Amino acid sequence: MRSTLRRGRAWPLRGFGPALPALVFLFVFMVAPLAVLFLRSVTEPTLGLGNYAELLGDATYGRVLFNTFTVATVVTVVTLALGYPVAWLLVILPSRVARWLFAIILLSMWTNLLARTYGWMVLLQRTGVINRTLMDLGLISEPLPLVNNLAGVTIGMTYIMLPFIILPLHATLSAIDPAIMQAASIAGARPRQIFFRVLLPLSLPGIGAGCLMVFVMALGYYVTPALLGGASTTMLAELIAQQVQSLLNWGLGSAAAFILLTVTLILYAIYVRAIGLGRPQ
Amino acid sequence: MSSTAPVLVSIRDLVKRFGPTTAVDGVSLDVAQGEFLTFLGSSGSGKTTTLFIVAGFEDPTGGDVLIDGRSVLSVAPNKRNIGMVFQRYTLFPHLSVFDNVAFPLAVRRRPRHEIEQAVKETLALVRLEEFAARKPGQLSGGQQQRVALARALVYKPRILLMDEPLAALDKKLREEIQIEIRRIHRELGVTILYVTHDQEEALRLSDRIAVFSHGRVVQVGSGADLYERPADAFVAGFIGNSNFLPARVRGVDAERTAVELPNGAVVAGRTDSALASGGEASLMIRPEKLFLVNGRDAPDANYDCRVDVTLRDSTYLGDSLQREVVTPWGQCLMVRQTGDAEALSHAGTGAALTLCWHSGDARVFRKTAGSSAPRS
Repeated sequence: MRSTLRRGRAWPLRGFGPALPALVFLFVFMVAPLAVLFLRSVTEPTLGLGNYAELLGDATYGRVLFNTFTVATVVTVVTLALGYPVAWLLVILPSRVARWLFAIILLSMWTNLLARTYGWMVLLQRTGVINRTLMDLGLISEPLPLVNNLAGVTIGMTYIMLPFIILPLHATLSAIDPAIMQAASIAGARPRQIFFRVLLPLSLPGIGAGCLMVFVMALGYYVTPALLGGASTTMLAELIAQQVQSLLNWGLGSAAAFILLTVTLILYAIYVRAIGLGRPQ
Repeated sequence: MSSTAPVLVSIRDLVKRFGPTTAVDGVSLDVAQGEFLTFLGSSGSGKTTTLFIVAGFEDPTGGDVLIDGRSVLSVAPNKRNIGMVFQRYTLFPHLSVFDNVAFPLAVRRRPRHEIEQAVKETLALVRLEEFAARKPGQLSGGQQQRVALARALVYKPRILLMDEPLAALDKKLREEIQIEIRRIHRELGVTILYVTHDQEEALRLSDRIAVFSHGRVVQVGSGADLYERPADAFVAGFIGNSNFLPARVRGVDAERTAVELPNGAVVAGRTDSALASGGEASLMIRPEKLFLVNGRDAPDANYDCRVDVTLRDSTYLGDSLQREVVTPWGQCLMVRQTGDAEALSHAGTGAALTLCWHSGDARVFRKTAGSSAPRS
């Protein structure tokens, strides 16, 4: 025992050899560019934190940050609300049926993102399938505003994010012994009480992992907000693209990217603190 | 348990099919109030399924379960007011020991002071007061099952179901907790339905034992009933050790059934079932009811059955001497001698001896498929 510990300390890099190519790759193509990006954010156009001050101080940019967090939060909440029952269904369904459901979920995930987003446009726009059907049925007289607003972004992104919350939740839920729920039931707990007092607390690691994944992905999402959102729902990723591509304002774009990265890392740190590295104890 | 205690749980003609397989095949049992009844059987015998139907986790295909004379089949498990301890560890891992035991009262929305009082008392009952603040993961398996027992008892259910709660524990710990369970049963007078595949555990704990085989109850009775008067070869083989001798029925009278052994010797045994003369049968006799004498010694008048055998092996077990002898037809039998085992200890392997027993200690069973197989 003691000798393995000592050896572990003497050779801290043992076993790193095979990981070296990936580490080199990450360094050259991620760490180094990030460093360059950070330098640009504090040097262009002038040395200092001017870009950050502008982003956090200006009302327009503040609006973008607010939009970003609003969309990410709404999408995360809706995804969790929709995904949790599906993950539970995957656990309790007979395995033959569950395999089919799994295949459908994965298939939707593997379909091209642009194709899916344009698909939603066809469904959601003013003259789209949904509005047309509802009007033909006489349920509405005016087309519902389902696209170029928060609703459109939420619908499109929730759909894309669902697998990312279902998969970690399913892993957590299927690790819970059903006998624990039986024990709660025979002890007198009603189904609601079993859910809130037993199942939900036990699935927190999966909820945390899934929500973190969805929230972080949503924060930096570009394609779907750009296509299904409107001017009022501009998100940070769109701002970055705009600054870098159209305005060639690398300094401000880099600063925005770094704010995004910092928020992500803070959220991750909170998650690791609260729940651990995805291992339910 | 006295037969005057009123029936609390009544299981009637219970049938449970899973697709083409029949797990429970017409089980009927009455459990008296305060009784400790054990379902004993090997895995797949239907004992756990029967228990789960009583708990409400499975719906029967047919039959009924009555508690206090009322059918509970339409009552959800959480409304049956039954306590249960499971084979696997089912404590809530996110709650402390205290909160685990408090859970049944918390979901019943009992006032806080009442909960605290009841949890303290129940933890004291299983001798785990000082562990109240721990999480289940910090307890040993035996402690976890005692907490599970406390959680099942804290709301004072009249019926406690236990599904092999000690199966995952080692032998010494198991015996310790068996003693605790007996004490708790005595102190609380709760009616217990206990499932196990361990005949020793069943004998140690139960007032009565129901022996399960292939979805049916083969026999119900006290440990002594099952050991001394097994209903058939299966029960005889399942409870304790037995020797089964192939036999042919020669004559039947009120007291004894005479059978012919393969070497032509005619011996006798008791029987409950009617046997046809000339039919194939099986003579069962316990190892401790067999005696070995030297061929030259005067026959003991008590032992009216005799067979010549050859000694194959002797094993000294401290409190007894276990001998293996071979019959003229090549069958190996077990003999356990206690007391003056010294008398024959000089007899070496290969010695010619006479095996004798009293016909009242032997039982004759109808020949059934695999009747000589069980040996546990």
